[in-house]
Amino acid sequence: MIEISNLSFRYREGEDLALRNVSLTIPSGQFVGVTGAAGSGKSTLTYAINGIVPHCYPGDFYGAVRIDGHDTAETSLTDLSRLVGSVCQDIDSQMVSSVVEDEMLFGLENFGFPKDEIEGRVTRALADMGISDLRDRAISSLSGGQKQKVAVAAILAMEPAVLVLDEPTAELDPASSKGVFDLLARYARIHGTTVVVVEQKIALLSAYADRILIVKDGGVYLDGAPADVLAHADELRESGINCPRATSLANRLRARGLYAGPVCRNVDDAVAAVEEVIA
Amino acid sequence: MKGFLEYVPGDSLLHKMNPVAKLAVSLLIIFACFITQSFVALIAILVLDYAFAAHCKMMPQTVGLTKAVAGFSAILALIALFTVPAGAVLAPLPWGYIGTGSILAAVRIVLRLVACAIPLFLTFYVTKINDISNALVKVCHVPYRYAFVFSSTVHFIPVFMNDMSGIMEAQTARGVEFDGGFAKKVRLMVPLCVPLLVSSVRKTNSAAIAAEVRGFNLRTRASGYKEYPFAGRDVCALALACALFAASFLV
Repeated sequence: MIEISNLSFRYREGEDLALRNVSLTIPSGQFVGVTGAAGSGKSTLTYAINGIVPHCYPGDFYGAVRIDGHDTAETSLTDLSRLVGSVCQDIDSQMVSSVVEDEMLFGLENFGFPKDEIEGRVTRALADMGISDLRDRAISSLSGGQKQKVAVAAILAMEPAVLVLDEPTAELDPASSKGVFDLLARYARIHGTTVVVVEQKIALLSAYADRILIVKDGGVYLDGAPADVLAHADELRESGINCPRATSLANRLRARGLYAGPVCRNVDDAVAAVEEVIA
Repeated sequence: MKGFLEYVPGDSLLHKMNPVAKLAVSLLIIFACFITQSFVALIAILVLDYAFAAHCKMMPQTVGLTKAVAGFSAILALIALFTVPAGAVLAPLPWGYIGTGSILAAVRIVLRLVACAIPLFLTFYVTKINDISNALVKVCHVPYRYAFVFSSTVHFIPVFMNDMSGIMEAQTARGVEFDGGFAKKVRLMVPLCVPLLVSSVRKTNSAAIAAEVRGFNLRTRASGYKEYPFAGRDVCALALACALFAASFLV
């Protein structure tokens, strides 16, 4: 579904490459988490997938990105947006309407969805995000977290084949963040949607993603299943990423020769590891 | 009071009217205000404005608007007072005089500006901005691009106001004192317009990108989900507004 070949990109106003020789293949339906330190190139990678780079941010673009066979550099942003739904990092800028309902309708109207489908899509997406009660609220009266949910719901309503989300839980509390990831994972499973989500909370990614990419200095530093990536605790720390505490605990036990089991991704895994050590 | 041009929900007749009809009625009332020279007609329009405001439960906001517009128009009224020599002489001036006609001209300016500001004010507060722009596209065939510019402008006003207050709070935290007279406040705020402008340009660019990746360029007149048919009440309101407009030529 997503093929990235030898992609390098330098913003016109930048001196260094924002992305360096990135090559990836993301099959259809995979849930991919992307994380890394600030300025590592995570957002630029998402821009390359949804076509914002090079269409909106010009610069030196090398290599190729293909979405379902369409070269992003040669396909118009409008045509790409039929395939890729994007939630940007700056939520305030993403909002184009003053009322939640209008925000939901914007993409559906533009893409010409049949009118008898629109109401169902809006109602379903709002209910999925748990924000049906916000339908008639003014956007300016919403909290940051509510705006993020509205932005995600507005994209989900269009049911794109690929979802690209740049820190969709940045302003959400832990429970709401988990709720958003629950929904994204369930949604992707039901619709066979490919999801690429940039997220700082690696514990969330390790719990939900099929695959984690660690981006460092514009390149993909680590790429693998969550358990495999979390096994590289030292490399993660060097990249400015803290492992989940459950993983750190098991890694310490392992370093002392007390535990030899699999990498712990969550509290349940850690409890099992500690019980094994005590036994 | 909600934010600037933020929709006030309700179920009054004004809320239910077609957005284009509301705009047209407002514009006809405004034209009538500028055409008529009669005090009685202006006062009648003002009474009508307040009746509308009371009907859609916007009285406190309308009183606030009246004070603001009256304050602004007082400047114009003063200019008229000193520059329109008319009627019986009350006070001679080196370049003319202040007469009874000058006072009437000044009062007429205040009345006219207040009477014509209220209908548009009410229209914008009892109608969702998207409904106004979508109805203009559907009914008046205004190109969507222009309607979107209008609705985006209104949408971004509270965003930029928040940005400005954020910048001011940051400056206050660094010891800048915004308390004090109007002139001092303006002097301190002028340099802050540069970061606000930078942030506004960046946000506008991001919004344009966000709109484009959601199919903005595919939009046609038929794309709008909502329809805006004219009902009997819209036709009646337009007919009455036309009658008022015609009457303004006669009185």
